Formats: sequence, structure tokens, C-alpha cells
Amino acid sequence: MTPVFRSIRELAEAVRTRQVSPVELAEVFLERLERLGPRYNAVVAVTRQRALAEARRAEAEIAAGGWRGPLHGIPYGVKDLLATGGGIPTTWGAAPLRAQTFDADATVVRRLERAGAVLVAKLAMVELAGGMGYRQPNASFTGPGISPWGRDAWSGGSSSGSGSAVAAGLVPFAIGSETWGSILSPAANCGVCGLRPTYGRVSRHGAMALGWTLDKLGPLGLTADDCGLVLDAIAGSDPHDPTAVERPFRYDPGDGGRRFRFGVIRGVAESAEEAVQEAFSRSLELLGRIGSVEEITLADLPYEAITRTILLAEAASAFEDMIESGAIAGLTAPEDRFTAYARDAILAKDYIRALRLRAFVGREADRVLSGFDALVAPGRPAVASPLDREFRSAARGNVPDVMGAIGNAAGLPAIAVPNGTTAGGLPTSLQFMGRAWAENTILAAAGAWQRVTDYHLHHPPEVSYSA
Amino acid sequence: MSEAASDPTEVELRFALVRRRYGDRLTPEQLDEVRRAVGAIVEMVTALRTVRLTNADEPGQRFVPFRAAE
Repeated sequence: MTPVFRSIRELAEAVRTRQVSPVELAEVFLERLERLGPRYNAVVAVTRQRALAEARRAEAEIAAGGWRGPLHGIPYGVKDLLATGGGIPTTWGAAPLRAQTFDADATVVRRLERAGAVLVAKLAMVELAGGMGYRQPNASFTGPGISPWGRDAWSGGSSSGSGSAVAAGLVPFAIGSETWGSILSPAANCGVCGLRPTYGRVSRHGAMALGWTLDKLGPLGLTADDCGLVLDAIAGSDPHDPTAVERPFRYDPGDGGRRFRFGVIRGVAESAEEAVQEAFSRSLELLGRIGSVEEITLADLPYEAITRTILLAEAASAFEDMIESGAIAGLTAPEDRFTAYARDAILAKDYIRALRLRAFVGREADRVLSGFDALVAPGRPAVASPLDREFRSAARGNVPDVMGAIGNAAGLPAIAVPNGTTAGGLPTSLQFMGRAWAENTILAAAGAWQRVTDYHLHHPPEVSYSA
Repeated sequence: MSEAASDPTEVELRFALVRRRYGDRLTPEQLDEVRRAVGAIVEMVTALRTVRLTNADEPGQRFVPFRAAE
């Protein structure tokens, strides 16, 4: 079998039945990372030595009858804000931190190792996960992230390499992080699936902090099912992260036969680009094949301002040392070298007011979602922007993103899945957002979507696999 | 959400703090950009003030007292 652009279940079956060995799999993806990774500025480091050691171990265990499950022997990459021991640098995408190392792996990396997965790469990201206010794609010491769907198209941020590496078939799945948009945006720009879990579902121990009350870690993969399988392995409480809750998660998408109730916030796509609106309109019709769609209205609250206040204040505090010392002057994006100084203008009272209003957001979102399986919306209001142009960003406040603002302030899970391609060949995306802890529901809905559509089976023409 | 106008004086007062702390590191062009960023912040927090809060409205996250495992 050709292992590239295969789902995790397909790869797992081939590994379990020994049609392909973990070492062979690792070699295929290591070669692609080394050959194609630079084309997309997708990779910080290929972890060849570690990967082959993990793959050999997996091979021996499977040969001895010790198959651990669907991730055993499956290669993957992580956004380079997750700590890895063994002398592998963890750069946070920032030039001043190119040599930064940690003594131990992040909890997510340890859990994937426990599941038998094989770490093949640390993947590129926007410097400091975009927390310093970048306005254009060239905001990482590895260069602007490039979508495999267009040489001049941004891969999105801040989990840029996690999106482009999956889309280019450099890894079967990747781990990204989202504070506001950083999983859904690269998933959309790269035409892959990205799952933002409920806040607290996945331990953040060993991950760079951008916003302590907003940061989530989650998978990007080719299918919703892939994302569910990965979440199953990484979810769970952790004594090293008090926000990771005691709420066991087992991936169970159900039998696939049920119908869903979807809600759509009135006007949610109004400010989106025309191509995104068109794709979303088509999607609303297609969703009728798997469920009902009903328009809803939300209480009048300053959703974006609430989330933005929390994000800007927490990021300013998380990087206080770099900002006050002036070390941000060493960052790549010119605007990242000084914009964060403005955040000293946020008062403690402003931040606390945003936290008090956040409780309103959580209650309102749950009230609305209690009548539905998921709210649906475009995964991102725009298609991938050109590399040399400023993009619009909800986190900066120049494009509305009520779904992202609510979802991240309230800590709700969402999954983005491909829903079309523009005339120019760039992917568009559809998101399903659910109630807190309802990952299985949105994964089931996204899985049902992918059974009645084939957008996820399309891959960038220039990276189609050839043996 | 209804629009709320931000106060230009408030922008200048908050910007004065930022300029006092970091002005010596910044070019005039960068200072202008920081001033605009402060303006956006004041606009953002002005929007927060359009919602009436009562004494009972607590932050959306709880403080948890620490006790080491025994």
C-alpha cells in the first residue's frame, strides 16, 4: 500500500496485520518531511533519530503480539511549542529561542508515546503562537507558512506547520494549539480537519503558555475520525496541569445512522469572503442530508471584545519578561517587535470585567447549544491570504468572529472540516461547535458530513503521492 | 452589539503610560502604531462597559485553594 494520504485506521490496520512496518512508515514520512518540508516552511526539526528508535520499538512490540492500538507505529508531528526532551530544541517559532531546550516531553507527547505513536517532526508555528500581534504571514524564524494548495497562499496560524504538514502528506496527523483560531485557521487554509477540544480536556503541561485560560491542544488530521482517535490518546487529567479535568474521554462517534440538529447564528457568514459564503451556503443545503438546520439569534454581548481582552492581557503577562526586557525586538515580524507594548494600557479592572462577562458568554452559549448538536459556521471567514499581504484577524479586531470568540471564551469544542475549493484552487472550511465536553457529538456530525461529501479526499495536486 | 464610542482623552492618558515606559525604545513611526493599538484597546474595553454587571456577577473562573497531596 502507499501510506501517504491514508487515514489512521487504514494505516493502523496495515501496521497491525504487518503489511507495513512502523520503520517503513517512519522512513516514508521522514523522507517527505526532509524533501518537501522546506517547500512549505512547515518544519523546525525532523526528529529522525528519535523516530527510528520509536519505530523500531513499535515494530518489535507488534511482532511480539503487543499491538497497543490504532496509533501504534503511526508517525506524527507536533507544533514546536510542545516540549521535547533529549536535546531536541523547542523554539516556540521565535528566533531568540532557537536554542531553547527542555528536560522532558510535554504530557501530550508522553501520551502519544504511550499509545505507540512515532514522533517524526517538530512543526513550524507563528512566533509565540501569534501572541505579539502579527499582521502578516512572515512571522516565524522558519519563514512564512505556505499552504500546499498554493505557492503564494498562507498556511494559516499559528499552527502553520501542523496544517501544511498534514495537507502535504508529510505526517498522518499533527498536534496544534488554539488560543483563538490557531487550530481552525490552519485546518481551513490547508484543507484538512482540525479539532479544538474543550478547555481542560487535554493537559497543557509542557506547552508554551499564551493565554492560561484560553489555551487548548488538539489534533489536525485528514478526517474527523483521525482527530477522534488522536484525542482519545491525549485526553485526560494530569497532576502537572490542574486545569486538565477528571472527565474520562473515550472516542465513540456512534453508529453513523443518526440525524443531527444544527443551529446557525443569524448572519454568521455575512462578513466572510464571497467564496466562503458560497461554500457555506452549499454546505447548509448538504447538511440537510444528515440533519436539520435552524437559524438562531444570540444575546447581545460584546463577544469579540471579551475574548480579545482576556487574550491580550494574558499574553502580555505570559511574555512579560520578553516584552519588558525588549527581547521581542529579536522577533521576525516587524510588528511583533513593539505592538505588545500597547497592552500596558489594559487595566486590571478591564481584564476582570472581561472575566466576569465570560461567565455570561458560557451561559448564553450553553443555553443556545442545549437545543442543538452543534452550531455550524465557516471554519474561517477568508480563504488563505497571499504571503505578502496583511490578513484580517478576529484576534486583532478587524474581522468579526463571533463563533471563535464564543468558542474560545467559553472553552467549547469545535472541529473544522473541508467544505469546498475556490475557483482559484484554495480550500474552504466548515466548523461544527458543540457544548462543553461534547467532542463525540461534533466528531459524529463531522464524520457524517465526511460520509456524504468527498472534500477531505482531495489533496493538493503538487504533493500527490508517488512511490 | 451596540457601538460604544471610546473617549480620546482616555486613549491619550493610557498611551502616555505606555510611552513613558517604552518610548525610548521606539521610533516615531512605531510610537504612532502603538498609539493606534492603544486606541483599539480603549475601544475594546469601552465595549465591555456597555454591559451592566451586578455585585453578584463573578468572574467566569474559580479560585481553588491549594493543598499538597499527602
